[in-house]
Amino acid sequence: MFDTLSAILEALPYLLEGALVTIGIVIGAMGIGLIIGIHMAVGQVYGNRVVRWAVGIYVWFFRGVPVLVLLFLFYFGLFALIGLNLSAFAASTLVLGMTTAAYQSQIFRGAILSLPRGQFQAARALGMSDFKAIISIILPQALRFSIPGWSNEYSIILKDSALAFVLGTSEIMARSHFVASRTYHHLPLYITAGCLYFILTWLGVRALLKLEEKVRIPGYAH
Amino acid sequence: MAIVLALFMISSVNVCAKELINGIDANFPPFAYVDKAGNPGGFDIDAVNWIAKKMGFTVKHQPLDWDGIIPNLVAKKIDFIASGMSITPDRQKVVNFSMPYWEIKQVFVAKKDSDLTVDQVLTGKKRLGVQRGTSEAEWLKDNAVKKGWNFELIYYDSAPMAVEDVLNGRISAAAMDDAPAEDAAAKKPVKLLGTFGMHVENFGYAVRKQDTELLDTLNKGLKMLMADPYWNELVKKYFKK
Repeated sequence: MFDTLSAILEALPYLLEGALVTIGIVIGAMGIGLIIGIHMAVGQVYGNRVVRWAVGIYVWFFRGVPVLVLLFLFYFGLFALIGLNLSAFAASTLVLGMTTAAYQSQIFRGAILSLPRGQFQAARALGMSDFKAIISIILPQALRFSIPGWSNEYSIILKDSALAFVLGTSEIMARSHFVASRTYHHLPLYITAGCLYFILTWLGVRALLKLEEKVRIPGYAH
Repeated sequence: MAIVLALFMISSVNVCAKELINGIDANFPPFAYVDKAGNPGGFDIDAVNWIAKKMGFTVKHQPLDWDGIIPNLVAKKIDFIASGMSITPDRQKVVNFSMPYWEIKQVFVAKKDSDLTVDQVLTGKKRLGVQRGTSEAEWLKDNAVKKGWNFELIYYDSAPMAVEDVLNGRISAAAMDDAPAEDAAAKKPVKLLGTFGMHVENFGYAVRKQDTELLDTLNKGLKMLMADPYWNELVKKYFKK
């Protein structure tokens, strides 16, 4: 028992370093997903047929292929093919970012579609351009409605980030595995890894809940 | 977004001209592992560090997933693999190997109080664990058909995981190299049942086919190291027998 405890304590700084790597991947991926996702959602709702078709293909592809396959496909295949020499960390962040973009676009699209159609028409009637109506009227509301779905996506990407080790990114899970291989304390170390993921999930979801309350429009919520 | 961009930039300029990257399986003690301070350590790491110093290059040890370690080498993400890799004809089709530096036998590992024999594992309809992507996994699969063995192969990410499941009782025995088996026996209540008829294998350093210059350097360094007293020190440090 004491043996186990000291093994965990010894490994903790090393695992916490891994948590920083995990956080880096998740923040990067969620940021990339946010930017691409918003554009795709707007494109899919308001775009012409070509844009809608292109976004549709993208979403089908990234939702249809397992993340593990995507990581291999891009890192050893596509990125190498176009001469993009990314590190394992950058590549895993980018691939996870592109994947979550597909899911996030559907969160935002759902939020946009939940707004009454009349709002867009009213904005146009007031003389706003399409662009102005989307930026000033539609998105401020839609993004607020998206926070619960987005926080869900955060907790999924956080755990998907464990897959980054197939490319050699030493995040929480890979590091737990290394220490377990040396010390043969497998179960205690996986429990520790689980706790770290739990704490990160809790912190992130909690922060997003606070954000949701903070940006709520008075008298507008349910 | 700025942070993300910065991270990308830092991470994409990591290839210095003279620094070579050695890909390791950090789940393979005592040849390669991550030590208490979180740094790569082990027999192969110490050996390569010595060679690097003598031959005048700097080296970084990069832990990688064993399944993806050869693709990483081919895709030039790493420069060589010095991590207890057996020289096999299949691998020689894709990479070149240095001179052999360590002879390895494959053994079965079972619970300490078990009275299983090697034959019982082979023909007694047992569940047998093995690390995925290893030469012993290939050999057992191929020979089971030829020799009429009836064990069921269960695949694991690493040898220590297979040992863990031997202790859990989910598999009767696990097949692995003798050195990590000794390492497991020193730390956990398991024992070596003995060899099971697989040919003796040799470890070598793997490099890309076209990197003949690097292969020369590594071969020269290895030859020097094995003639040096430091080699015996290393053997004594990592293999207590």
